[in-house]
Amino acid sequence: MLSNITVSPSPHISKHMSTRSIMVDVIIALVPAMIAAVWYFRIHALLLVATCVLTAVLTEYLCNLARQKPNPCESIGDFSAVITGLILAMSVPPQLPLWAAVIGSAFAIAIGKMVFGGLGANIFNPAMVGRAFLTASFGMMMTTWTVPAGIDPAMPKISAENKVDAYTQQTPLAWSKQAIKDKTGADVVNNQLSAMFTGKTGGCLGETSTLALIIGGIYLLIRRTISFHIPLAVLLAAFVFASIAYLINSSAYASPLVHLTGGGMLICAFFIATDPVTAPLTTRGMWIFGIGVGAITMLIRIVGEYPEGIMYSILLMNAVTPLIDRFCKLVPAGGKPHV
Amino acid sequence: MNSETMRTLSFPGGTHPPQSKQLTQKSRIQPGPPVKQLALMLSQHIGAICEPLVKKGDEVQTSQKIADSDAFVSAPIHSPVNGKVKEISLQSHVVLGRSPAIVITVDADQTIAKSPACDKFTKDFDAQRYSSEQICDAVRQAGIVGMGGAGFPTRVKIEPNPRLPKETMIVNACECEPYITCDYRIMLEWTYQLIAGIKLAQRASGCSKVFIGIEDNKPRAIKVINAALRAQKHVDDIEVVPVKTKYPQGGERQLIRAILKKNVPTGGIPPMIGVLVLNVATCAAIAEAVVCNQPLTYRTVTVTGEAIANPGNFYVPIGMPVADLIEFCGGVTKKSAKVVLGGPMMGIAIADLSTPVTKATGAITVLTPKQIGRAKFEQRETACIRCGRCIEACPEGLNPTTIAHAVKNNLLDVAQKYYMSACTECGCCSYVCPANIEITGYIKTGKILLARQKKKMPR
Repeated sequence: MLSNITVSPSPHISKHMSTRSIMVDVIIALVPAMIAAVWYFRIHALLLVATCVLTAVLTEYLCNLARQKPNPCESIGDFSAVITGLILAMSVPPQLPLWAAVIGSAFAIAIGKMVFGGLGANIFNPAMVGRAFLTASFGMMMTTWTVPAGIDPAMPKISAENKVDAYTQQTPLAWSKQAIKDKTGADVVNNQLSAMFTGKTGGCLGETSTLALIIGGIYLLIRRTISFHIPLAVLLAAFVFASIAYLINSSAYASPLVHLTGGGMLICAFFIATDPVTAPLTTRGMWIFGIGVGAITMLIRIVGEYPEGIMYSILLMNAVTPLIDRFCKLVPAGGKPHV
Repeated sequence: MNSETMRTLSFPGGTHPPQSKQLTQKSRIQPGPPVKQLALMLSQHIGAICEPLVKKGDEVQTSQKIADSDAFVSAPIHSPVNGKVKEISLQSHVVLGRSPAIVITVDADQTIAKSPACDKFTKDFDAQRYSSEQICDAVRQAGIVGMGGAGFPTRVKIEPNPRLPKETMIVNACECEPYITCDYRIMLEWTYQLIAGIKLAQRASGCSKVFIGIEDNKPRAIKVINAALRAQKHVDDIEVVPVKTKYPQGGERQLIRAILKKNVPTGGIPPMIGVLVLNVATCAAIAEAVVCNQPLTYRTVTVTGEAIANPGNFYVPIGMPVADLIEFCGGVTKKSAKVVLGGPMMGIAIADLSTPVTKATGAITVLTPKQIGRAKFEQRETACIRCGRCIEACPEGLNPTTIAHAVKNNLLDVAQKYYMSACTECGCCSYVCPANIEITGYIKTGKILLARQKKKMPR
């Protein structure tokens, strides 16, 4: 009975948790948003999600082959490629042609993650890298937005072209950008708040349903998959900046709640900014990171050219994360040692 | 301060492994098995190794001093039995590998001690009868070392030092490691002996205040000790302080942080902030040494783990082979995967079951494959996802993942910049890591590599 005993360093017991279980939690948290997406955007949402996820997984497999890994399927088991595919699908326009989604997803995994050395080694959020590539390459396709079925016909439209169950329209953020340029009309957007909360507005799959995203975010917080620091910092900073603008001129600038619920703010705060690989390690660093994301996003939305700034703010803050980690070096409980 | 109030004092970080105390917490301390041969390691403590005072073939008596050292930081070793020195040879030591020991063959008619002389201790014990020098001398003569695991010579610890005066004494009754219950049983069964030892240590060191830190998962022990303190005639400033049950609350730095809200300086020792920390078993041994002139030759050991047939707490002579104890407990019923001296978080796994019990061995934990199944060495290591759970769990406020990866890449200077030497190797980081990285193992390796490197480069 005592013949086969192992000798190895302590500790000899461990918590039952793995990278995969963390990723599975994130996928579960995205399920309400995915259900809302399919509800509003029908079959195309499903196809888009499936395409992005399958392409991501396949690309990771092929990259592993190229890296001559002894077991190319091993890293797929941690589901991080699945999440990249999901987030990318949720952040592009719903009617993006599937071939473009394939290119974007493959780029996200190959250039956004694998060339750096796989999971844990990438500097930039892979889904955002993929989206940035798509925006640069297919600008027109990436800024045309479908509107969900069943939307209130009184809401303003760009074109009167009616498709079967969805038609193009400006997103709430585009309206708000227009209002800034016109210096008036922001109350139009403010009136859409309840629609934005449930999801009956234009935008990408992950932007629309605030309620579904909040449910997902609360799930992650309860399960302790993410800590509250980054989401709180992002939303707080965004709220503060949006409020400053709103107080300056409430007819030109949309209310802070519009900015929190519109665009990718919520999916960013809970799912994109909290990606552990590309965010700082320490809680102080997480605060700086979150405030940076929130502030830069609002700067772009209010003062910049684009109606939405999430992608850029995430990529910019990812770039300075190593610097943040350097500056936020922890001091041990007993203080620095005397040399 | 009302000692009956349950406050949840604690420290930042830490983790909650399953306590698993139910296997042995109700077992009274029993005498160990009859013993044929003992191996007394010459290095039972931190400090200078002892020189043997006997040679092969010599007869030895119970409590006879058989090894000693002139160095200041050392403690003598005594024979627990009547017997004959078989040889002085290399035996297995948990930390040092193979180390010299005095092997004694026990006389055939030897009866081993069943328990310490507890009935000499009553509620009327007065430590003022003894002077500080008397107590310190007795402690040294008895060869007492820290029995919580570190094995630091106790006389050096409690002796008053004018350069580092000690104001506060903390009795470490936490026993935060899963499975271990030997200190808990001492608190319940040898209560007056323990309190006598605490008073003696307080008298010797000159501390004005004593806190007994107990984790709140031992409500019965808290009650028993409070009742015993209330019954005492001469109780000067001894207070039971319940602390939150969390690993590693029993680490002295964490206990000081929880009770006194002060931090021991990094790389320093508690006397630097005027604190003295002693383990429960050590205090009980001090009482025996000073009052009954009994040297440290026996100790309580918890034999536990899901693989053991009859786990329990035993009073055994120092030098008893681990294999004898395991057999006495009915052997292993389920397939065992690891035999650990100590607890599952910081204990050391052994391969040679003839390893003898030393003064600092508190437990023998035999773990099944199911218990260790999720531990890091059983799984393939995957990439660090920088989740930060190890940083959250570290009770010393370090950055374990950065240190471990620096060691992995042989960047020991970077590891030192992140305070690798401040790590107490508690194991919390490895315990919580979702990527199956043996963080504690890497840091331990890094410390050894750094020590070797320093030796090669003379100052």
